[in-house]
Amino acid sequence: MLNEEEQMSEALVRIFENVVLTEEKSLQAGYFKDLSIAEMHTLTAIGPYDARTMTNTAEDLGITTGTLTVAIDRLVKKGYVHRERDKRDKRIVRISLTHTGKLACRMNSKFHRVLAKHILAGYDANDRKHLLDLVDEVDRYVEQQLRRYDSSENVRATARQVAKDTTKEKKQNG
Amino acid sequence: MADSDNLRAKVQEDVIRIMSETLEISPEEITTDLSFNTDLPFDSLQLYEFVIDVEETYNIRLPDELLDEVKTVNDMIDVVLKLSEQK
Repeated sequence: MLNEEEQMSEALVRIFENVVLTEEKSLQAGYFKDLSIAEMHTLTAIGPYDARTMTNTAEDLGITTGTLTVAIDRLVKKGYVHRERDKRDKRIVRISLTHTGKLACRMNSKFHRVLAKHILAGYDANDRKHLLDLVDEVDRYVEQQLRRYDSSENVRATARQVAKDTTKEKKQNG
Repeated sequence: MADSDNLRAKVQEDVIRIMSETLEISPEEITTDLSFNTDLPFDSLQLYEFVIDVEETYNIRLPDELLDEVKTVNDMIDVVLKLSEQK
């Protein structure tokens, strides 16, 4: 028999993998076969309403603007994303979803809502509240761990930048 | 006719027109008491096509939480009216 830590750890990994796999299979079986799961997440990060900047969207996805540019190129070609330069500041690129992009985004949200609805349907009101509280706690803990890595990455990036600047200064000063 | 009646008539006309185009049925077949769940033959893709068209026509947002409350064509007209007036 598995101990509690093993049971929790295996369940977490399995839930994550199976949600992604189910999402991917539902995409392949549905109306948006030409979208990968990563592309669908990019559409979700842009969102069905206001236009967003490349920088903000890349930040939300935890990727570089260079990586996002490649993804957006493909999504523009496939007809899911509209891209234009800001009228006042030409350096800023704004992206928004086309009608088809909005449709894909809303259908994907629906997929998540239906999944959640079915999971919760098996419980009475008290158990649902209890389950949601516990899931919230797990969510907060994992998020906290992520922030730790994010901030340590920031610290490392700052250290690298300081080292680079110092070397440059030394070179300049001979 | 009061302005509010005119506006309601316009929203009703638009909602029914968009619905009939999405479902490819005649506007005459759509009455305001019809239910989204039992009377109108929407599949989920068509439903979102209809919702997005209404959003774009009136420049409003109809999130899923709000759509859960919309049961009939009349409810949809009410929601669109309310959100358009809030702008």
